[in-house]
Amino acid sequence: MATNSFLYTRRRITNVLALGMSMLATVIGLIFLAWILWETLRQGISALQPKLFTKITAYGEDGGLLNAMVGSLLVNTIGILIATPIGVLAGTWLAEYAKGTKLGESIRFLNDILLSAPSIVLGLFVYTIVVLPTTALTGGSTTFSGWAGGVALALIALPVIVRTSDEMLRLVPSTLREAALSLGIPQWKLTTQILIRAARSGIITGVLLALARISGETAPLLFTAFGNNYLTFNPSDKMSSLPQVIYQYANDPGEAMHAIAWAGAFVLTMFVLLLSLSSRLVLSRNKVSHD
Amino acid sequence: MTESAAAGIHPQSAASPAPIAPTKLKVRDLHFYYNGFHALKGINMDIPEKKVTAIIGPSGCGKSTLLRIFNRIYAIYPKLEAKGEIVLDGENILDTSYSMNRLRSKVGMVFQKPVPFPMTIFENVAYGIRHHEKLSRADMDIRVEQALRSAALWDEVKDKLKQSALGLSGGQQQRLCIARGIALKPEVLLLDEPTSALDPIATGRIEQLVEELKSQYTIVIVTHNMQQAARCSDLTAFMYLGELIEFDRTEQIFTKPGKKQTEDYITGRFG
Repeated sequence: MATNSFLYTRRRITNVLALGMSMLATVIGLIFLAWILWETLRQGISALQPKLFTKITAYGEDGGLLNAMVGSLLVNTIGILIATPIGVLAGTWLAEYAKGTKLGESIRFLNDILLSAPSIVLGLFVYTIVVLPTTALTGGSTTFSGWAGGVALALIALPVIVRTSDEMLRLVPSTLREAALSLGIPQWKLTTQILIRAARSGIITGVLLALARISGETAPLLFTAFGNNYLTFNPSDKMSSLPQVIYQYANDPGEAMHAIAWAGAFVLTMFVLLLSLSSRLVLSRNKVSHD
Repeated sequence: MTESAAAGIHPQSAASPAPIAPTKLKVRDLHFYYNGFHALKGINMDIPEKKVTAIIGPSGCGKSTLLRIFNRIYAIYPKLEAKGEIVLDGENILDTSYSMNRLRSKVGMVFQKPVPFPMTIFENVAYGIRHHEKLSRADMDIRVEQALRSAALWDEVKDKLKQSALGLSGGQQQRLCIARGIALKPEVLLLDEPTSALDPIATGRIEQLVEELKSQYTIVIVTHNMQQAARCSDLTAFMYLGELIEFDRTEQIFTKPGKKQTEDYITGRFG
């Protein structure tokens, strides 16, 4: 009995220690998130005025970030609209059709490399394959555009979406496949009407995470969307974006410019935070186990 | 089938019992390989029409493997190979020219864990029908209702047909899977340990259902539970290490088994 109670006490202590350390680690992570939010808010509060959302960057410290927000929204949307169908289809192919094949394994590996490729490299790549050729076509006037920016962001979002679609589909239990196939349902119907549906919330989360990821990107837009001090809704024009303006304003000597950059950073961080939260919400709402 | 035919062509000792009904599935010298591993070693058996045939045996004896060959569901995985003959209504279903679509509309299957599709209760049943037949809305409603009634589920779900099937209890989900299977009007129904994930009450309902369904379907049930085999089957096959040791009328197997191994298993000496 004595050894038993000793063992029990030891386990309790180990449990408390392990629990305490993991909670500490969580708190450290959260402190930095709260700190970042607090700092961007504190430094940017003076610029958090209606004009931030109504005026464009052309007015400098008297202006706002309207064109940057619109630009970000459009360029991100283009990026996601290009990357989602390709990514979901590629992920589906990897999970359902390339199971256990060498080709599938190699493509999964290459996709992981693309996932970790430096974004500036992707920006330069799109500069070479989109901006330069269109510049040559138009007879020399440079053709930085929202489209080019969208393509660059799509290249960053694509591997994220491929990866999550692939993984979410592979999480669908194989018994669901067997059940459908044993009813005589062909593979293509099984994939499009049952498996995608079963993995839907996970795939949506992947798309939202990809959106969160690209909305903070600066480097790929420098050589593609380029930036624009005026408001435009036409993706064929040069386009501004929040991260890029934050980068420029942070390098400006003016205090008021810094405040606008901080406010922009706050808006961007909140946007990404809300996006992540809503993706969690989608996931938990549809959380129905197949086990 | 005549006596001599039933007894004559079995190279193995596990001869099929004296026929109690016409043969529905005739298994001849069936071998199965998992990536080279010899999992079934020359199975011969005659599964009678509109009777319940139970397959029992310890884990790994090949009983689920055998069941999964009857609708060729094993074929979705690479490196699995079946050799031999399984004759359904005069045709060898292992022949590559035998259409998978046709086979699976004739041979339905219910799995160990209930796996409803992520759709409404109605759609779960209608989905399979729609793939094989074009029905009007009204006809479809009737077919779905019939299937749910046959699976003894109608009264519990008739007011929530448009709700997700994932909200049903485990036992209800399993009966939904049976409804989904019989909605296609198959001739053979394969049940792979259909109650192992269910509580005793839900198990009782499924067993009662099996009893009711055998007037219309040839049922083959794999089970870990010997009492279940004894309760709801007409014939019982005992398998061990990939071989069919004994196949006879259920009361024979459970009261006077012909083989020492069968007796050891059903009296709980191994397994």
